[in-house]
Amino acid sequence: MGKNHLGEFEEIVMLTVAILHGEAYGVAIIEEMETRLNRSVSIGSLQVVLKRLEEKGYLTSELGQATKVRGGKRKRFFTVTNLGKEMLQTSKEQRNSLWNAVPEFSLKAISL
Amino acid sequence: MNRQPSPPLFLLRLFRWFCDPRIVEDIEGDLVERFEKRVKNKGHKKAKRLFIKDVFRLFRPGIIRSVAGSQKLNPFGMLKNNIKVARRQLMRNKMYSSIKIGGFSIGIAVCLLIALFIRDELNYDQHIGNRDNLFMVVNEYNNNGDIEKFTWFPPPFSEAIGNDFPEVLYSGRMLFNDYFGAGSASIRRDGQVVNIFDDGFAFADQSILDMFGYEMTNGDAKQALSQPRTLVMTQSRADLLFPESNPIGQIVYVNDDTEKPYTVTGVLADLPANSTIKFDYLLSLKEQEFLVRSQNSWGSNNYQVFVQLQNPGLEEQLAPKLDAIKTNYWLPSLKKAGYADAEEIAKSYHYSLLPISDLHLQSGDINDPFEKGDIKYIWTISLIAFFVLSLACINFINLSTAKSANRAKEVGLRKTIGSTKGNLVRQFLTESILFSLFSFVLALVLVLLALPQFNQLTEKSITLPWNTLWFIPILFSASLALGVIAGLYPAFYLSRFTPIKVIKGSVSQGSKNSQLRNIMVVFQFVASIILIIATLVVNDQLKFILTKDLGFEKEKVILLQNTDLLGNSAKTFRTELAKSPMIESISFGGYLPISGTKRNGNMWWNDGRTKIDDGVVGQNWRVDQHYLETLGIELISGRNFSIDLKTDSMAIVINESMAESLGFSEDPIGKRITSYINNSVVYTVIGVVKDFHFEAMHNPIAPLALRLRNDQSTSAIRVKADQMNEVIDLIQNTWDKTAPNQPFIYEFLDQRFSSMYSEIEKNKRILTVFAILAIIIACLGLLGLSIFMIQQKNKEICVRIALGAKPLQILGLLGTSFMKPIVLSFFIALPVAWYMMGRWLNDFAYNVGLNFGPFFQAGFAAILIALITIGFQSIKASNTNPAIGLKDE
Repeated sequence: MGKNHLGEFEEIVMLTVAILHGEAYGVAIIEEMETRLNRSVSIGSLQVVLKRLEEKGYLTSELGQATKVRGGKRKRFFTVTNLGKEMLQTSKEQRNSLWNAVPEFSLKAISL
Repeated sequence: MNRQPSPPLFLLRLFRWFCDPRIVEDIEGDLVERFEKRVKNKGHKKAKRLFIKDVFRLFRPGIIRSVAGSQKLNPFGMLKNNIKVARRQLMRNKMYSSIKIGGFSIGIAVCLLIALFIRDELNYDQHIGNRDNLFMVVNEYNNNGDIEKFTWFPPPFSEAIGNDFPEVLYSGRMLFNDYFGAGSASIRRDGQVVNIFDDGFAFADQSILDMFGYEMTNGDAKQALSQPRTLVMTQSRADLLFPESNPIGQIVYVNDDTEKPYTVTGVLADLPANSTIKFDYLLSLKEQEFLVRSQNSWGSNNYQVFVQLQNPGLEEQLAPKLDAIKTNYWLPSLKKAGYADAEEIAKSYHYSLLPISDLHLQSGDINDPFEKGDIKYIWTISLIAFFVLSLACINFINLSTAKSANRAKEVGLRKTIGSTKGNLVRQFLTESILFSLFSFVLALVLVLLALPQFNQLTEKSITLPWNTLWFIPILFSASLALGVIAGLYPAFYLSRFTPIKVIKGSVSQGSKNSQLRNIMVVFQFVASIILIIATLVVNDQLKFILTKDLGFEKEKVILLQNTDLLGNSAKTFRTELAKSPMIESISFGGYLPISGTKRNGNMWWNDGRTKIDDGVVGQNWRVDQHYLETLGIELISGRNFSIDLKTDSMAIVINESMAESLGFSEDPIGKRITSYINNSVVYTVIGVVKDFHFEAMHNPIAPLALRLRNDQSTSAIRVKADQMNEVIDLIQNTWDKTAPNQPFIYEFLDQRFSSMYSEIEKNKRILTVFAILAIIIACLGLLGLSIFMIQQKNKEICVRIALGAKPLQILGLLGTSFMKPIVLSFFIALPVAWYMMGRWLNDFAYNVGLNFGPFFQAGFAAILIALITIGFQSIKASNTNPAIGLKDE
């Protein structure tokens, strides 16, 4: 796996971008994560991860149109690339295979 | 809409400043949007606090802009491209590039060598710690308005100056006069029989060691020379004489004089190569008596006097007071000696101080025993260096612009695509800097190759100062600077082309450029022709000197050094040698017709006229009765000395010049002359010899008198045989028999004679080198001009070829226009060289005279070389296919 390994936060960000499907820009991603996962995220940590994922080729971005809100600044919209999709898929399959290998009783004990 | 509350502007600005400019816009938008939403949900205050938190959490790697700035990437890419284009340009015109780089690197190499030479000259005597308050005393003689400066003083002078002036910390003397045994001598250890023949002997007071602070590796510098018959030597000599033992306290004999043993009291570190005052052995002056009661006499001038002041700056206070020594000591002694005009004589002398730091370069007008440089010379060669470098730059510019047509299309195309003038200038500058860097590397290689020869020529030991901190950075920045200087004009010239004209095919830029080129070529050829003429004239003069009838016969005479060591067996040596038929005659005596051998200047008067006449300055030599025969000097009247006549101890033989100076119009034989002011000793003239050259030919032959006296320091042997090896074997065998274990050192008189003119020989070689360099540089200039001209006349040439012109006709067409500047430069160079060489030859009382020979040879050579340069290009031009030249139309 090596460098192609996805970190937990990276995976969540990529999934959120996928959920937002074309509407994923900074604040939207943060709000989506806050509402769905009840997890507060700073702009700084998000932007660093977005940049890194883009450099790895899992995300691509383009600037949108300027509007009157946000001080007239354009939004940068992110989409998951094919490589990113593949990556997410592998990640999911790996987890599934791990889940499948876990004996049922060991999890039940925890849930009690 | 209500007025929106805005996020803190200061923080926003801070963010804009530190954020990577590529992502600043959308992140700022996010920040503002979040803030606006929070204001709505959570209130202004909280939103503000969270905003601050957000901004600070953005201050992290990945968001912060890179220190170098992201914009630099672009010019770097361009630079890479520029270098690539320059390299292709270089590789494509290999011949042309190598001419350009070659010419440039020759110029740089010359400059570098000259710079190293100047650095070495300026570093002279920098090792003397006290040089700020060390001075040499100078005697200034006012000879009816001409100031003659010299540095020889009477023995007690130094003590007087030390005692009488509180400003003086130390005063001391050095003695370099070979009459007293300084210069070259033989030396051996007590207990060993083998002498070592060496030079660099000098006498000095202990205070000289105190003043100059020479580093002493062994012994006590404070009192090494304070006792009589003590000696210090340099480390290299100590290693030679005492390879294993400690030299301190050992006994040595100088010139085999066992009655005067010297004790070694100190070893000095070898003096740096750039010391003006040079020696290898210092002998103590304490209680030395060279002449009877000489140490207290004010009557002779033989010593160099040095003073160290209490502290720097006192010299201005001291200098005006120095003449007190003259009135207090010297004047009374003059009066006592009986000079009627003693006051008058004393008045024409004046004492002054010369800082030691000025000794090497700023004392050209002062007569002293040291080998010195000359600041004028430094200025001249600095000028030459500058001149050569600017010529090399001009040629570089010339060649770059001459080939403009090749680049014009490139420029046009680049401009059409959207390149700005600035981009093009940068591109061409990159190219010339690259050329300059190459040239510097090549120049360094040239310097490394030339340095041994150069050191031989200048008698220095210069090395490249790689280990200094500044050398490589300076070279590097100089190569960048030169690249820019040489590239600036071509860059602007080339980037000025308008695309529409260029692509249409008309790049004929105004003819005023070729005018400038013409002037430069004239300039370069004037310099070259002058240098060629100078080389030829110097060569002629040298030939003249070496073949002139000297008045003595310099061939087949062997000089044996060191014959002092024969002692009383000299007679045996002579009789043994004389038995061989290969030996014609043998003469003992150190006074030889070669500069640098013994000399003894005196004043001469007719008997009884010492107080009346001015006196004639003339040499007073001690020779033996075989001298005239051995050296082949012709006796024109009277007779030679005879050892059998007792009266010949008071007899004297003079030369024609002496006879004339003393006013002997009729036969001088039997006339009585004296060299003593009190007329106490009078000699009788028994013979007159034909004038012979005993000094270099710069001055007329001076008056000379020969007396029959024993002087055994050198021996001259005239031999018959053609087999020199056999003769030398014979002499050596005889020497080894009579003086076993003593060094056998011989020279040939004719070689010693030529070495008198080694300075001229050296000048000739330097001139030759410069003449060749000048011609190369001038040819490069001409090459640039011819390429440019051919390019300008390209269409004319092509049309002519198409109509059937032959290569020779093309050469004629181009040649005539090029011959004009060459012929013009010949006529400019002619009077300049005539004047300069006339002045140079005037330095010689005996010279070859100016004639037109060398002038026409030089002119012819210049024209021939120019013709070859042009011819090459013309033939190339006439061999091109005219279709190629005309297809642009």
